[in-house]
Amino acid sequence: MQKIFAVTRRELIAYFSSPLAYMVMTAFLLLQGLVFYLVLAILSDPSTPAMAPLEAFFGGTIFFWFYLLFVVPVITMRLVAEERRSGTLEVLLTSPLTEGQIIAGKFVAAFVFYIALWLPTALYVIILRQHSTIDMGPVLAGYLGVAMLGFLFLGIGTFASTLTENQLIAAILAFVGLIALFVAPLVEQLLVSGSVFKTALVHMNLFAQMEDYAMGIIDTRHIVYEVSVGLLFLFLATRSLELGKGR
Amino acid sequence: MIEVENLTKVFVDVPVVDEVTFFVPEGQILGFLGPNGPGKTTVMRMITTFLAPTKGRVVVAGIDADIDGVALRRQVGYLPENVPLYPEMRVDEYLRFRADIEEIPRSRQAARMNDVLERCLLTEVHRQVIGTLSKGFRQRVGLASALIHEPPVLILDEPTVGLDPNQIIKVRELITELGRDHTVLLSTHILPEVEEICERVLIIDRGRIVADGTPDGLRSRTAGLPTLNIQLKGASDAEASEALAGIPGITSATGGVDGRFRLEHEAQKDPRESVFRLAVERGWSLLEMTPGKASLEDVFVRLTTNDDNEDFEPEA
Repeated sequence: MQKIFAVTRRELIAYFSSPLAYMVMTAFLLLQGLVFYLVLAILSDPSTPAMAPLEAFFGGTIFFWFYLLFVVPVITMRLVAEERRSGTLEVLLTSPLTEGQIIAGKFVAAFVFYIALWLPTALYVIILRQHSTIDMGPVLAGYLGVAMLGFLFLGIGTFASTLTENQLIAAILAFVGLIALFVAPLVEQLLVSGSVFKTALVHMNLFAQMEDYAMGIIDTRHIVYEVSVGLLFLFLATRSLELGKGR
Repeated sequence: MIEVENLTKVFVDVPVVDEVTFFVPEGQILGFLGPNGPGKTTVMRMITTFLAPTKGRVVVAGIDADIDGVALRRQVGYLPENVPLYPEMRVDEYLRFRADIEEIPRSRQAARMNDVLERCLLTEVHRQVIGTLSKGFRQRVGLASALIHEPPVLILDEPTVGLDPNQIIKVRELITELGRDHTVLLSTHILPEVEEICERVLIIDRGRIVADGTPDGLRSRTAGLPTLNIQLKGASDAEASEALAGIPGITSATGGVDGRFRLEHEAQKDPRESVFRLAVERGWSLLEMTPGKASLEDVFVRLTTNDDNEDFEPEA
């Protein structure tokens, strides 16, 4: 554990000593603020149907997916690719760290950074509570959904970063992977009902999963899906590091 | 301490390392020499388990790389080529990170860090950001980090490359000092470096070991007959050349520019007195007379350019 946290801490030092972290955070919060404002403005119009503002904020808008799909590759792109490029991967792999510990440490750092990105949005909840009563259940479930989707997406991004030594390529690979995972279940509507394939795709629909979270529904099937696919990609990332040694 | 057996690495059908076998006993400083190319680094990367061999076995301090790579790596301090470091970290942050991943207990970390900072003359820069340090300092940070867990075995890949002459001297002194209580395997293509710090040399060319022995042993075994360099004044070059070649024991006299000659002579017959007498007889002044020392450079060039090294038998 000491070793994994050492990797995590080093990774966080790297995040916060580069301008990239602050750029991502600023852009993210600007967009979030804009969306929050729009949601409130639209819902204030009496002609729109009644809806809890934070429900719309989490997953109710396409913007939510927009920045999730963009921000995650930016967070994960440097994780392994940069170490490969600069040669420091050699230092890690010739220390008593195992491949699994390296990936675990780095993933935890990416996850911490991702959560830190979302923390300031808690202010919106505080602001809304000053002016109206809000049901905290769906809000907390929404944050749980954000965390779970983050787990899945960051796992894919981490894996993408092990495949290349070029950060940009790692980001693009991750982006393509996330888009594919996000879009593929929408194909379901084209399939005839009753097929196993269709049923599987229905369960994989991330948009629908996030809508459930935002309404306060915590469905363990969603959690199992997100965590297990995330872990699968972390396992692949570990294998990818091992394969780099060649035979 | 380091045992390597039939080590082979094939990259896309090309054997970069080909059936390399050697043993480094505890406490030895072994210089790994070879023309530029991937051979030396690849062997080192296989010993440190960064690369898996296509074939063969690596054992360090009694631990087989195939059985327990993590345990093997605990025994090794490794300085990779070009000294990869994290430019955004401070020197002490980086050393603490290395101490953590090398499993040094928190209670001992401060003592270990002070020790390596002092040894590598880094105490005054320990709060500096690594990216702002000069190449020489970064090299020493790399060394310090390789020493933090007190490994019995040190593997250093081109530790003096890219340094200025003063820094080279400092790093060499440090390595010589480390050699007193560590087993050291170091690679270089700088020959004087090997002469100065290594007890034993291993020359690798196109993936194979072509020579193995002490620097002195290699010189005497491969460099041919001993030589004598002289300079004469007052002699015509042609006359001197003929007279010198006539001295018993001298097999050839070459040169003859500005009265300088290079004499090759039989190993048992020292011609120096005869040369001196000849000069007196003919009324020449003898300006210089030095026994030529075949340089390791000669050995190196001979061994790595010649296609058949079949006549060479490694020294036990």
